[in-house]
Amino acid sequence: MKAKWIMPAAVAIAAATALTGCSVAGPPSPASSPTNAAWPDAKGKLDGVTVTVWTAQSTASVPNKVIAAFQAATGAVVKNVTVPDQYETNVQTSLATGDHPDIMFWQTTGSGLKIIQAKDRLLPLDGAPWLEKLDAPSQELGVLDGVHYAAPIKAPSVIGVYYNKANFAKAGITEMPVGYDGLMAAAKKLEAAGVKAPAYEASADRWPNQWCVQVMLADLAKSGLWDRMNTNKDKFTNPEVVDAIAKCQALYSSPTGNPNIKTATFPEQAKALLSGEAGMVIQVNALVDQMAASADLKTLNERIGFFPISPTGSIGTVIAEQTNTVVAFKSKDAKQESAARQFLRFWLEDYYPTFIQEQGYVSLQPAVASPDNVPEIGKVNYPAAVKETVGSMQNEAIVNPDLYLYLVDMYFGSKSPEQVAEATQANFVQLAQALGAEGF
Amino acid sequence: MSTATIQRASRTPPRQHIRSRAGQEHPWTFAVPALVVLGLFLVLPTLLNFVLPYTDWSAFKSNLRFVGLANFGSITSDGSLQQALRITLTYAVLVAVFQNGLGLGLALLLERDTWLNRLARSVFFLPVLISALAGGYIAQAMLKPDGGLNQILSALSGQPVEIAWLGSSTWTVVVVALVHGWKWMGLAMLIYLAGLKSVPHELIEAGRIDGASGIQIFRRIKFPLLAPAITFNVATALIGTLNGFDIVQATTGGGPARSTEILNIFIFRTFGSGLYAQASAMSLVLFLAVVIIAVPLIIYLRSREKVLA
Repeated sequence: MKAKWIMPAAVAIAAATALTGCSVAGPPSPASSPTNAAWPDAKGKLDGVTVTVWTAQSTASVPNKVIAAFQAATGAVVKNVTVPDQYETNVQTSLATGDHPDIMFWQTTGSGLKIIQAKDRLLPLDGAPWLEKLDAPSQELGVLDGVHYAAPIKAPSVIGVYYNKANFAKAGITEMPVGYDGLMAAAKKLEAAGVKAPAYEASADRWPNQWCVQVMLADLAKSGLWDRMNTNKDKFTNPEVVDAIAKCQALYSSPTGNPNIKTATFPEQAKALLSGEAGMVIQVNALVDQMAASADLKTLNERIGFFPISPTGSIGTVIAEQTNTVVAFKSKDAKQESAARQFLRFWLEDYYPTFIQEQGYVSLQPAVASPDNVPEIGKVNYPAAVKETVGSMQNEAIVNPDLYLYLVDMYFGSKSPEQVAEATQANFVQLAQALGAEGF
Repeated sequence: MSTATIQRASRTPPRQHIRSRAGQEHPWTFAVPALVVLGLFLVLPTLLNFVLPYTDWSAFKSNLRFVGLANFGSITSDGSLQQALRITLTYAVLVAVFQNGLGLGLALLLERDTWLNRLARSVFFLPVLISALAGGYIAQAMLKPDGGLNQILSALSGQPVEIAWLGSSTWTVVVVALVHGWKWMGLAMLIYLAGLKSVPHELIEAGRIDGASGIQIFRRIKFPLLAPAITFNVATALIGTLNGFDIVQATTGGGPARSTEILNIFIFRTFGSGLYAQASAMSLVLFLAVVIIAVPLIIYLRSREKVLA
């Protein structure tokens, strides 16, 4: 038969193609990328070069004007590719297949850098001319094993309390609460003054649940909790950590919590704080953006205030987020790496003042003034503006467990604080073992 | 005539001859592209799913190492896998009941070929055509505390209704199963309609002549003869839902408090944390669960067809 050999050949081809895909796609063997590589002039000509930028849905339009200006100045073609949510999962999938951009937005916490194998995949940014122009806290962003990988464009969040000024006045609170006891006392005063939800948690959206616990771990974090956690010397099940979880449970229980905690979403939380239904909200900077979507600058300044909080004081807990920093990738082509470095220089040096003006971001470079359209709370809720800061779990832990998920169970009544701690610890160990961390 | 001659005369043309004619008209070469695609996207991932759970594949490393059964131990140690399996099974059974109940009911209702029935059949089939995610998002918008359903109920009852349809850790799984059943009932309805049409008309006439009521005709004549349609619908509903993802992801994302976190959503979440080998192990468990459930079920349903047909 003529076609008798086709079937076995087809199977053989399929099998051979399949076996070539069996090896896990690792990082590319890089072109020369010494740590102190030359940083080319931002406006150097780049005709014929294509730079790919990955953005998340939440940051899709952020670099557009920078890109347009860079293309005009250098002749490069810059593609803005939006990776659909869930951003972190889809980026990891793409990286695992061997695909990578030149620049991308990323949460450059320790755990965030480890999960994309920063040491093998990312361009070190030490020696960048804009690095020393940044304020001190920003210079420490995105550092892994002493090497810088992050280019900061937006201030990281200080997790703290956003409060409704009118409600505070109504309850007779004139000084900012200090410590957990101060927070609870304020909540009780708000409740006595008739505020429906003295402390409002958006449990239904899941991710907001963790901020209260994080700020209540600030004192422990200051004493090196995360270093001990990272070597398995301390665990989430330690009584002090469980106590932090229990404190939050108490804060958000009746009568100081919001009655609709099980179904409350993040947009509802922002609305409640603006309208006065809520007294206080423990959140990250994203709350400001959410409120700004429905209130103008004047209203925001009139109605909302901010203060950091920690168990016994006002230490600010810092978390770096996806919207804060971009990273650059190593490439087999040295020209691509050079173009990426150029793009970063353009963004953080030449175009930076225009950029923060357009976005309404607070300035991270002391030599560049913040624009006028930054709300008052935006001037006090980032690391350089807070007297004392400490890193959050995302910033300091080697891996990022699903604490927020187990906290939802607690607010639904199906887990106690101890059980939340147990589940978080089990997840933490599992992730640390996958990382190959010592001591696990 | 000798037996040999008879045998020779009655011999059919050599089968080789027929096969080569067919082989010339439909050579295997036409099937090669499809076979390659099938191999790459179906056979290969399934084979890998039997290998990767025994490695330490994760986002944190670029090498693979064999670790034996360690992953299976870690995914069963805290009970999450068992809980997800339980929820998936509950969800699948509920969907099978709703989808088939609604589908059969619609088929019986719209059995006669009037123009109104034909229009209604098309309308009820529309949800099948929309994307499952789109359907899920529409359902979520309708079912949230300030969503469409509560607004309708408030208007009807005159009092503000704010039931959190998707906020109960006990009952939301039933609500989501209803949404899933609504999405696919049109398909079940079509299959049941086809099954009903294949019931011989003489049997129904004979039943009517003998004085059987509508319900009796259904119970004694139509339902037994629908056995092939039931086999198909129940099996596909159950097996398809065990592998379900879209509708639950769009309506609740596995919440509230992970009470609707079916196995595929748990796998998706574990994969998102970077634990690829554990996610593969869970996929293998799901594969085995589907096989263990599907094979006896289909054998039983098919045996019903043989007895009654």
